[in-house]
Amino acid sequence: MADEDVSPQSSYHRDAIKTSVHNTSAQRRRQLAVAVGKERREALIRTKRLCREAHFDDNEASLEGDMNIEEERAVLNAQASQIIEDLKSATTYQGKGAAQKKVEALRALRRLLSKSEFPPVKAALQAGAVPLLVQYLSFGSPDEQLLEAAWCLTNIAAGEPEETKSLVPALPLLVAHLGEKSSVPVAEQCAWALGNVAGEGDELRNILLAQGALLPLARLMMSNKGSTARTASWALSNLIKGPQPNAATELIRIKGVLDAIIQHLRNLDDELVTEVAWVVVYLSALSEAAVGLLVKSDVVHLLVGKLAASERLHLLIPVLRSLGNLVAADSYMTDKVLVVGHNTTDQILLGLIKCLKSEHRVLKKEAAWVLSNIAAGSVGHKELIFSSEATPLMIHLLSSAPFDIRKEVAYTLGNLCVAPAKNAEQPSVIVHHLVALVNRECISGFIHLVRSADIQSAKLGLQFLELVMRGMPNREGPKLVEREDGIDAMERFQFHENEEMRTMANGLVDKYFGEDYGLDE
Amino acid sequence: MAMEVTQILLNAQSVDGSVRKHAEESLKQFQEQNLSAFLLSLSNELVSNEKPVDSRKLAGLVLKNALDAKEQHRKSELAQRWLSLDIAVKAQVKACLLQTLASPVPDARSTASQVIAKIAGIELPQKQWPELIGSLLSNIHQLQPHVKQATLETLGYLCEEVSPQVVDQDQVNKILTAVVQGMNASEGSSDVRLAATRALYNALGFAQANFSNDMERDYIMRVVCEATLSQEVKIRQSAFECLVAISSTYYDKLASYMQDIFTITAKAVKEDEEPVALQAIEFWSSICDEEIDILDEYGGEFTADSDIPCYYFIKQALPALVPMLLETLLKQEEDQDQDEGAWNLAMAGGTCLGLVARTVGDDIVPLVMPFIEENITRPNWRQREAATYAFGSILEGPSPDKLTPIVHVALSFMLTALMNDPNNHVKDTTAWTLGRIFEFLHGSTVETPIITPENCQQILTVLLQSMKDVPNVAEKACGALYFLAQGYEDVGAASPLSPFYQNIIEALLTVTRREDAGESRLRTAAYETLNEIVRCSTDETAPIVMQLVPVIMMELHQTLEAQKLSSDEREKQNELQGLLCGCLQVIIQKLGAAETTKYGFMQYTDQIMDLFLRVFACRNATVHEEAMLAIGALAYATGTNFLKYMQGFYPYLEMGLQNFEEYQVCAITVGVVGDLCRALEDKILPFCDGIMTQLLKDLSSNQLHRSVKPPIFSCFGDIALAIGENFEKYLIYAMPMLQSAAELSAHAVADDDDILEYTNQLRNGILEAYSGILQGFKSSPKTQLLMPYAYHILQFIDTLYSEKDMDDAVMKTAIGVLGDLADTLGSHVGPLINQSVSSKGFLEECLSSDDGLIKESADWAKLAISRAVSG
Repeated sequence: MADEDVSPQSSYHRDAIKTSVHNTSAQRRRQLAVAVGKERREALIRTKRLCREAHFDDNEASLEGDMNIEEERAVLNAQASQIIEDLKSATTYQGKGAAQKKVEALRALRRLLSKSEFPPVKAALQAGAVPLLVQYLSFGSPDEQLLEAAWCLTNIAAGEPEETKSLVPALPLLVAHLGEKSSVPVAEQCAWALGNVAGEGDELRNILLAQGALLPLARLMMSNKGSTARTASWALSNLIKGPQPNAATELIRIKGVLDAIIQHLRNLDDELVTEVAWVVVYLSALSEAAVGLLVKSDVVHLLVGKLAASERLHLLIPVLRSLGNLVAADSYMTDKVLVVGHNTTDQILLGLIKCLKSEHRVLKKEAAWVLSNIAAGSVGHKELIFSSEATPLMIHLLSSAPFDIRKEVAYTLGNLCVAPAKNAEQPSVIVHHLVALVNRECISGFIHLVRSADIQSAKLGLQFLELVMRGMPNREGPKLVEREDGIDAMERFQFHENEEMRTMANGLVDKYFGEDYGLDE
Repeated sequence: MAMEVTQILLNAQSVDGSVRKHAEESLKQFQEQNLSAFLLSLSNELVSNEKPVDSRKLAGLVLKNALDAKEQHRKSELAQRWLSLDIAVKAQVKACLLQTLASPVPDARSTASQVIAKIAGIELPQKQWPELIGSLLSNIHQLQPHVKQATLETLGYLCEEVSPQVVDQDQVNKILTAVVQGMNASEGSSDVRLAATRALYNALGFAQANFSNDMERDYIMRVVCEATLSQEVKIRQSAFECLVAISSTYYDKLASYMQDIFTITAKAVKEDEEPVALQAIEFWSSICDEEIDILDEYGGEFTADSDIPCYYFIKQALPALVPMLLETLLKQEEDQDQDEGAWNLAMAGGTCLGLVARTVGDDIVPLVMPFIEENITRPNWRQREAATYAFGSILEGPSPDKLTPIVHVALSFMLTALMNDPNNHVKDTTAWTLGRIFEFLHGSTVETPIITPENCQQILTVLLQSMKDVPNVAEKACGALYFLAQGYEDVGAASPLSPFYQNIIEALLTVTRREDAGESRLRTAAYETLNEIVRCSTDETAPIVMQLVPVIMMELHQTLEAQKLSSDEREKQNELQGLLCGCLQVIIQKLGAAETTKYGFMQYTDQIMDLFLRVFACRNATVHEEAMLAIGALAYATGTNFLKYMQGFYPYLEMGLQNFEEYQVCAITVGVVGDLCRALEDKILPFCDGIMTQLLKDLSSNQLHRSVKPPIFSCFGDIALAIGENFEKYLIYAMPMLQSAAELSAHAVADDDDILEYTNQLRNGILEAYSGILQGFKSSPKTQLLMPYAYHILQFIDTLYSEKDMDDAVMKTAIGVLGDLADTLGSHVGPLINQSVSSKGFLEECLSSDDGLIKESADWAKLAISRAVSG
């Protein structure tokens, strides 16, 4: 055990100015090595940040008017041409590491095309990217090469319409690589590229359908792998968008598709459910055959379950729209599925109320639309809605919401006040609903609609005024309408070019405010 | 309870190894079995005047070691153990210690002083032992000088151990009064005076309030200055040490004393014994340090101001100071160049002269030039060397405009001297001066080049020739070549060195193989210079670098062939392997970075990797850090192809991550994990379980040096970027760690620059982890998994913003994370982001930043946020 120096004055002294190079050089070399790592980390983060994911791309151009954008573009364009040259020379390169060289050149192109707000797609196309990429997609190529080539095409397809169209020569091979013999990542990437193409417009959709893209995509959607099913669903929803309904009908008839939809809707992965729900949106919107199958399946219960449970806007929109399409298209829904007293019916109502309360315009509108269709159902449906929280919400929306929501809400409120029509008779009024709405000052909201330039809305308003004047007890109706300046609103139509509206308005004014009006008092 | 330990303590100092070992074992056992009894026995031993001095001294030392350790973790463990002891035991130990201060045996007193200070260091912050300072101060009034001396020594140690906040001002005043009185010339005992002077050195940090009071300060300064004139050399030295400490702690209070201090220091430098003269020079170096810092802040871009004004003491003292320092340059020791640790008047004087040049710039040149001209051609080597040394010392600071004309004239003189001067010492300093010329006056930023196509060849010829000289001169010539090459670093395709490239490399390789290359670290200097030459190679010279690959590989291979090495030989082998791996690291970096050389280089990678693995296998429990560093470079060069090496390499990677003791090795290995992530991308996945386990262990360990923690956090980000949503399974471990570290670092009390710097490194690491994780999950179906953490991340950024003490790097990373949150979680975090202060004030601040990188990140974040909010 050695003794220690007890003096506070140690032998410490500062570093001499005259030092040897080894003292600093090794240190510097290490710092450089660390700095390289740091630089590459930052470069990687930058690339990731700028990577445009076609999937979520909202095509929103950058609003930032940066001075350097032009310069940046020029640099990117030059890089694109250079990389295409590399790609060309790699096709003919036969030496050691040829495969690696190809993949690296493709990867460089893919990265470049994912770069910045302005990927140099045009420059790449001008340099001849598509025919080259088609060559790289040839059968029997290594997976990594196929993947990178398809990825490049995906990025190109995410560009401007003209750029997307330039992919046409590549479509047959992209469709071919969707097949069962392809590896999963390759097939998925091809689906992604095709989804971008199909999203461009009906012309390209028709080309893809003619080339048989539907069946392999449908098979891909049946995959158990989440990302594959999701990408395929997304691509399919783009492919069957119409306007012709054939593709939707064809899709639902493919064996296993409905089961796959049901299975995926049960999945906990919201992104997958969202994409599948979009498929259901187009199926239900375009194909009667599909509606017939869907309403009798578990799909409705699953959609209602998601509607009630989810808080995600992206998911709620297609779910609501699907449900709305189904309720509107087939009375089976209100008659057999959403029966009053069933749990599903209560759930859908709660889900719709949640959406009415949401901050988001689209959700409110779609929810009101679904409600209006349900409110057109049985008296039981009307009573259920009327006694729920939905009614006060809608009354509030009628006076405060944007026009399109007001209109949907007015339909629903109007529907709540009339019993289902029997034969050709004038539908009878459900008086206590009407009185309650009038007491809560709904008339002005409807009169507002009467004044609207939109004929449909004006008609809706007139119909409601008719109910009020006909149905309010003690013939109070006309007075209430008059008090809210209703006569003036109706007289707007006295010489209106639309005959139906003119007749309807004039009829009402004559009937309730004719010569006898006011004599009672 | 206490027992006799005298014999054991004496045995522990026996010359007989086995007796000693046995005694040490017994002590250890005793300590573990009954700490109270052990400490009591030791303090009883220490206090007993009947016991032999050796056993008492050792008793005190063992006692001290039971209370304190160098290693932080162990230190706090020992403190806790002491605090948890029975109060009566502690009281008894303390009583013995205080009593020992009155012992007639100096060694016993001195040991007791140190132990008391250690206990004070533990107890005073806990508000325990409040009577200690009072009872020590009452000793001061004792008449016996030895008690007074021991008490002052104790006060000195106490001030070293505890922080000023722990002692209240009233007690500080009393301590300072006692200490300064003890230093007074009227104090009869020089032992007391020395103890008091040394105590003041430690107590200066407590004297903030006293130095702000003119009268008290005048008094203290007068006493210190008087002590520098004491008869006793130790008192003089100690008093100058106090002046040095005062110069850095109370720079702004010195103005009225500078005249006197100059007189005192000049006298000491001129006449006093070396230890005293060195401290006198150190005073001026320390003033330079202060003024360089202040002027640095004046010139700083943003503040253009400093908390402390510059008094320009050096500038004012210049006409007298420079001649004083130049005088010292003539007092060289023979053979000082062969001794790396040498420190003498000449070296201290030259170092101070260099600092003065950096402080005053151009003004020094006319004061030094006459000395150089007068001495540089003298027959006495001391004069030639001093002149050269003076020239070399002032090359940093003055403007190139001022120096370039002089250097033009001097250059050819220096080259001739390096070849022809008969004295090695002169040649050594000449080569060093050439290196300084190249370091500060040559390079792409210098307007008028010193080196022209005409003299380039001559310079190289001389330097390569000197590399054959004696080891210390050759070593300096390598250094000059190093800076020469560095100046051409970004010269582009046509480097003036290219024509000589082959010759330079051959000459350097020849140096590395010299028999005497072990002397003066010549081999190290040659390899590092070779590395710099490689780094500065151009397309033109790349083929020559390529030819170097098999040569270095062969050298490395040869180190692996040696068998049955002695421990000395093993150390040499290890060092050489480090140099060779370092060289390969630079070569890999260079050749792997350019497309033109990359493919050619790939043919070697299998063999190189094999060599690295064999270097690792040479050792048992540790990994070679240079080999590790080189593997990081190799991973970049090979990309995903590195996968084939992973199986073989992984065990060493894990070993590196487990190396707590050599924390630099651990840090480098963590960096290599990042390199691997970027090279392998998702192919690293199979190894991630093991890596993450090690990293999490590292973070939870309180043994690991704190500097490794920020890179570990960054490494989380690297891993997440590589494996994307597969990081899912690590979230539940990594996120809470990040969260608690974030909380700690957000509010760190950072009144000390070092702590603030570390805190910002930590913040940066945490933010880089968040960035990596968020970007890694981007566009994955599992982004929802990150939602629960979004609030905390935002809160962290908000807090950083409100704390206002982050540096630019943190600012850039933080605004990036804000964008990443918006980018990855989209509309789900829109409302959260809208509520945060960061999304407004912080974003605005970053958008208007002068720093291009911050602005770029902010622009991007703004775009991402606007998408998320409108989503």
